[in-house]
Amino acid sequence: MDRQAQLRWFAREVLPHEPDLRKWLAARVRGLGSCDVDEVVQEAYARLWTGDPETIRNARAYLFVTARHIVGEHLRRSRIVAIDFVADLDSLNIIDEEMSVHRRLSGQEELARLHEILQTLPPKCRQAFELKKFQDFSQRRIAEHMGIAESTVEKHLSKALRLVSDAMKEAPGGAQDGRQRERRFWKWG
Amino acid sequence: MEDSVSAGSGNGADVDAQATAWVVRSAERPLGSAEQRQLDAWLETDSRHLGAYVRAQAIWLDIDRVAALDSGTVREVPEPVRQRPWRRYAMAASVALAAFAGTAAYDHLAGRISTDRGEVRRIALDDGSVLTLNGNSAVQIRYEEDIRRVILRRGEASFEVAHNKERPFVVSAEGLDVRAVGTEFIVGIEDDGVEVTVEEGVVAVGGKASGSTQPRYVRRNEQFVSATTGPRKAVLDPADVERRIAWRNGMLVFNGQQLGAAAAEVNRYSSLRVVIDDPTLARAEFVGVFKLGDAQAFAGAAAQAFNGEVVRRGNDLVLVRQQNSPSH
Repeated sequence: MDRQAQLRWFAREVLPHEPDLRKWLAARVRGLGSCDVDEVVQEAYARLWTGDPETIRNARAYLFVTARHIVGEHLRRSRIVAIDFVADLDSLNIIDEEMSVHRRLSGQEELARLHEILQTLPPKCRQAFELKKFQDFSQRRIAEHMGIAESTVEKHLSKALRLVSDAMKEAPGGAQDGRQRERRFWKWG
Repeated sequence: MEDSVSAGSGNGADVDAQATAWVVRSAERPLGSAEQRQLDAWLETDSRHLGAYVRAQAIWLDIDRVAALDSGTVREVPEPVRQRPWRRYAMAASVALAAFAGTAAYDHLAGRISTDRGEVRRIALDDGSVLTLNGNSAVQIRYEEDIRRVILRRGEASFEVAHNKERPFVVSAEGLDVRAVGTEFIVGIEDDGVEVTVEEGVVAVGGKASGSTQPRYVRRNEQFVSATTGPRKAVLDPADVERRIAWRNGMLVFNGQQLGAAAAEVNRYSSLRVVIDDPTLARAEFVGVFKLGDAQAFAGAAAQAFNGEVVRRGNDLVLVRQQNSPSH
């Protein structure tokens, strides 16, 4: 698998599960702020990327389990008692529904979502990004079109990509699973 | 990239900002050799950088695919996405967890107490000590005037010993004597020997299986194993000790243990048996928290984690690796 093909595989098989993974981590790991969730996701992606995608049959489960390993490693390193014994034993069965249930968006839903996200971008940022992605303009042409420096275009595009990828950390449509639990069983250092 | 690349790994958001900057630049044109070196150095600083970079690249690339779907007319906001009703994971309800609080009198049982699989029993002894017997385990209680002796016949038990200098508390298991004054510890007969884990205080380990004529002292968060290959001692993380005793609270916790050992632990409490024939799979590290006795949940989680499947053969849940499918 070449790099482009692997990236496409990553986009298709791994990225769609990120919002659920984040929600799952946030709900279960005590004191794990959004910043720490970012770190766990980044680390998990690095491991998935360096692994062999051909051997990963269920990327969603693999992603969840990898993230869980990373949290476990943090826990061991932090030398903190790992378990907050809770009365609600049900919540401790780690094999979660989240692992098997996932609904893939249709192409039109994905497109509508992208437009929705783009509407939240600052105007120039959005314009540069749309010219790049929908009109396939080069940065030089965008610069001419918008009457700004090429280096500024790069900054706009970079910011736009960051904002779009931030928005993609959350599930589309603000879908809530309504099962967020108060009690969590991991303690974070 | 001077404006976006800084020293250190930074927090998750900083890393994302640097990753997107690199992705946008490298998508526009081939990087110069100095830039490439800079990028490589950044990626090598921290594996999280690689993760963020891959993520940003995949998103950048995927937006092209989504944008290509645009006919220029679709601008509606989609219906809120509804997730399917959660499927409750069928739990193995075959095992009853019995935790008795303290009234079972040992002498009425002729000194012998045993538990079935999936049964954890907590027994108060008349000197104020408490014994918790793990599943599929048996002990013999022999209290005498000058010594409190408990013989572990099989399985595992944990002890919270009432302090009494005049009357030492000694647990014997397969030729190993574990002597405590006032302490909490666990003794288990494992495949490769007797394991002594100390939660609180100090115990002295002796007897012919200890490999020494002098008592060996095992302290808090230490573990002694009278392995057939020679005795060994290890210092444990408090987290590992907690994990080790989670069974007392009706749970099993795995935090990077080998899957084979984890399965043996699960099997202690279950009428169904998790079987792993593949030695590579048995050595894989595993993380999870399960109810005692829930072998099915364990097997299911392990199968998902390692890309395998569970095959049921009678009372055995056999974990097998999937053949790699060239599907991509």
